[in-house]
Amino acid sequence: MTKEYTLHIAHLYGDLMNTYGDLGNILVLKYYGKKMGINVESQVVSLDEDFKSDDYDIAVFGGGQDFEQSIVSKDFQTKKDEIKKFIDSDGCLLAICGGYQLLGKYYIDAEGNKIPGIGVLDHYTEQQHDNRFIGDIKIKNKETGEVYHGFENHQGVTYTGNGERPLGDVEQGYGNNGTDQAEGAIFKNVYCTYFHGPILARNNIIAKHILIKALKRRYPNDDFSAQEKIDVSESY
Amino acid sequence: MSIRSEFATFAGKSSYWFLHTFMNGGSSLPGKITTAIDPAILKHLGQNYDIIVVTGTNGKTLTTALTVQVLKQKYPNVVTNPSGSNMEQGLVTTFLKAKNPKTNRPLAVLEVDEANVIKLTKYVKPIAFVFTNIFRDQMDRYGEIYTTYKKIIDGVKLAPEATIIANGDAPIFNSVDLPNPKIYYGFKNHDDKDNFKAEPNTDGVLCPVCQNILHYHYISYANLGNYFCEHCGFKRPELTHELTKLGALTPNSSDFTVDGQDLSIGIGGVYNIYNALAAYSVGRFLDVDPKDIANAFTANERVFGRQELIDIDGKETTLVLVKNPVGLNQVIDTISKEKDDFSLICLLNANYADGIDTSWIWDGEFERFTKMPIKKFITGGERYKDITFRFKVAGVDENIHEVQPNLEKVVEEIPTLPTKKVYILATYTAMLQLRKDFAEKGYIKGGME
Repeated sequence: MTKEYTLHIAHLYGDLMNTYGDLGNILVLKYYGKKMGINVESQVVSLDEDFKSDDYDIAVFGGGQDFEQSIVSKDFQTKKDEIKKFIDSDGCLLAICGGYQLLGKYYIDAEGNKIPGIGVLDHYTEQQHDNRFIGDIKIKNKETGEVYHGFENHQGVTYTGNGERPLGDVEQGYGNNGTDQAEGAIFKNVYCTYFHGPILARNNIIAKHILIKALKRRYPNDDFSAQEKIDVSESY
Repeated sequence: MSIRSEFATFAGKSSYWFLHTFMNGGSSLPGKITTAIDPAILKHLGQNYDIIVVTGTNGKTLTTALTVQVLKQKYPNVVTNPSGSNMEQGLVTTFLKAKNPKTNRPLAVLEVDEANVIKLTKYVKPIAFVFTNIFRDQMDRYGEIYTTYKKIIDGVKLAPEATIIANGDAPIFNSVDLPNPKIYYGFKNHDDKDNFKAEPNTDGVLCPVCQNILHYHYISYANLGNYFCEHCGFKRPELTHELTKLGALTPNSSDFTVDGQDLSIGIGGVYNIYNALAAYSVGRFLDVDPKDIANAFTANERVFGRQELIDIDGKETTLVLVKNPVGLNQVIDTISKEKDDFSLICLLNANYADGIDTSWIWDGEFERFTKMPIKKFITGGERYKDITFRFKVAGVDENIHEVQPNLEKVVEEIPTLPTKKVYILATYTAMLQLRKDFAEKGYIKGGME
């Protein structure tokens, strides 16, 4: 690992969508990035600031409070084209809770308002009345066999659509909507989830997947077998 | 008084007497009994008092205790509730326990849980509300900061004549137009030249008027400070009581100047200075002389109970409760004032009273510990894996970092630590377990009370 690699993270609305320690996802990407010989830089991209698809390798989009999310929903529409370009060009995007909802068509907030997403993914989010899904959650990804642990806390119930596969099947907890056994969504290199914890802190393997994919996209001619051997099995 | 209230009071007082005399306790049960007989009992019990309600996320207990100290300088009868008894039934019990007042209208300084303000104001009209701050706390209970504030406001709206004594550095307390008279306290130890935004993971930084991101001339901590909006001109209100100077600050003491009066408290942490500032403002509201307030702050060290010093076989051990990211970061800031070498123990549990979601530790600035004179780190508690990984990511040196899930073993290890000073950060139930073990080993006398 003699060559110096750099990856750029866009922390989407990091100053507004930050309710559940989501900054931890970025800290963990930097931590494992360092172990893999990658210099990981992150920058907050917020209201009235341009998101340029080509500038970034990874985007992290956390969850916020209803008030903040309603403001972000309006601004996010102005970033829709570049976000779509980023996703179509295999950019890695990790979207949690409100971030997950805003990538889809819409969500209904606690007061019953319909808040538009940007619809680059096909899911939508309805509201459950007088109930939240709160507690520890465990899911299994069918394709990899990996088991993920997290904590969920959401009133929205999300239904995935065209081209979206679940992040995992629910083994314990509620997941997207409490009925179809699915949690989260994967579309190209986009990972959506309701997992707090934060997700990458408790499931280091996903951090590794994201870093490797971002490396291969940014440096398509290099060999990353050394990075792929980095052990992330220990959660501490 | 109605016969029902009379009977309810009798039943409550008797049950308190019984519990107090024979069961060595009596916190909320008498309140439960009384409220069951007469749900409107607070009206009967509270009507003869001038009530001051202290509410907010952090600092309620110390602000209440300091306010009582301050008011006792001038008023002989001040009733207050013990820490934790801040819901409806605890308030009822507080009044039941109070001796028959000697003066016409005694004062009652009550720490009230945010959602319980309305349960009090439904029946009695306080003379003042003190707002400390609103931060994210145990989201699974009340939800967002705006929801929490709305719960408080719903209660305040039933008492439109009560004076609001609010932290002027908290933008949220300037977000709803209320008819009440207002007194604001805050920090004015800076000029207005600087212009910057809060750190990315700070809560509550949107302008309540135009929803752009707030800027600051000065931030004391979290989102508290001299804020303004570049878009619409929304800004911090004029302060009635100004902290103009911060003097010497150590983990165990803070010197500062308010309205020209030098003040000192026997506890560290900027957040505690705000608590003192709130108590000062209540004192001034009720005409207590500033010099008497200064004396009240230094007269009784016991009010600073939450951050106590324990002798563990010669080790000066400081045990601190942590429960949310803002509080945690203030504790980290306070410890950063320590000049001597020390050892750091961090114990994380995730039971209901701790908050069952441990995500908040990632908003804690643990990275700062790597720059302090720490000779040994121990991480433990039921969620030791989470806190240990947080320390690793923060960059704590693995050679001096030990993982010890077993709390009893942690306690056994304290006397062998390489430094004389030891700081322990613990979540609520971890602290209870630790204190039980300390008590069994004779390091402290009681449990939590």
